[in-house]
Amino acid sequence: MRNIIRFTVIFLLFLGFSFGNCLVGNFSSVYAQYDWKQEYTDVCAKTQNAMILSSEELKSYIDRCDTLLDHINKLEGAAAATEKKVYTKRVKMCRDLYDFALKYKEEKE
Amino acid sequence: MKKLLFVSAVLVCIMGIAFAETGVKQKRPLPYEFGRVIINNYSEGAHVAPVVFDHWLHRAKFTCRICHVDIGFAMKAEETDITAADNLNGYYCGSCHNGKIAFPSCSKNFGASNSESCDRCHSLDKTVVKKYDFRDFVKGWPQERLGNRVDWEKAEQQGAIDPVDFIEGVSIKREKLVDQKDFELGAEVEGMPDIIFSHQKHTVWNGCELCHPEIFIGIKKGLTKYSMVEIYDGKYCGVCHGSVAFPLLDCQRCHTQKVQ
Repeated sequence: MRNIIRFTVIFLLFLGFSFGNCLVGNFSSVYAQYDWKQEYTDVCAKTQNAMILSSEELKSYIDRCDTLLDHINKLEGAAAATEKKVYTKRVKMCRDLYDFALKYKEEKE
Repeated sequence: MKKLLFVSAVLVCIMGIAFAETGVKQKRPLPYEFGRVIINNYSEGAHVAPVVFDHWLHRAKFTCRICHVDIGFAMKAEETDITAADNLNGYYCGSCHNGKIAFPSCSKNFGASNSESCDRCHSLDKTVVKKYDFRDFVKGWPQERLGNRVDWEKAEQQGAIDPVDFIEGVSIKREKLVDQKDFELGAEVEGMPDIIFSHQKHTVWNGCELCHPEIFIGIKKGLTKYSMVEIYDGKYCGVCHGSVAFPLLDCQRCHTQKVQ
């Protein structure tokens, strides 16, 4: 009886490790699949109303832009040189606008 | 002898004026030339003619923001650093000149067989028959005195043009712009009417990020002093109103406030 229990526990642990690795692997790949183009679309879609965003929102968007710029700088592949050039400018434009709006708010306060 | 000296002196004066670096009237661009940009980062190196880009054709169809924000063209000639590879990858000119929105740009194999297509853009100092003739294109549109001699604002109000502000796959869907207020700028020169700057007129074509902070960095009203010398030098308002938008010579377009 004890042997059966021990065997069952070991077997369940083995199963747990096997599937756990798979799950961890999946989570890693999800985090690795940073859809930077979608992030660019989400972050830079708010520029029209930069002047009415709160300071916290503006700081958040600036941080997201900085993360995006880091990611763009590390792009590899055939079209990477073009994408780096194009998207760096696009993201910098919206980052600089948010920064401008933040400084305007801080000056006003 | 005296006559000879006199004639020599007159000739020297005439030659001095003719070759003087300052004080010589600069040639004003013709209406179809106004807003023309020559792009030659790599053209001559690739043994093709530099690109001749006419703003009047593109601004009739698209807002400034499409090209200068969504696509990412710089505000000064040759600062964008466009290559044929960029265009072929679907960026810059290739964003629209991809065979779907407009005729395709660039080719991996440039030669006699496709030179006619290349000449549509790479046309400096070449005799190229353009698809659109300027005078026919702007016929019947509201006129103004200077620049392209087209009142672009009235042309849009009257429906002569309907610039596109969003291109699928190129532009970002943005929320509607919150109205920005107009404000007054005092003229430094006594007797010169003050300026009423309209944010609404500028943002409808430009958005916010085209001007702020690259062109207008001031975060507090009155902090930045604008001088006409700097503006004529291509700074501030002069970035656009010295090259593509109505020229700075048209003083009363901006200096509209009555003198008290």
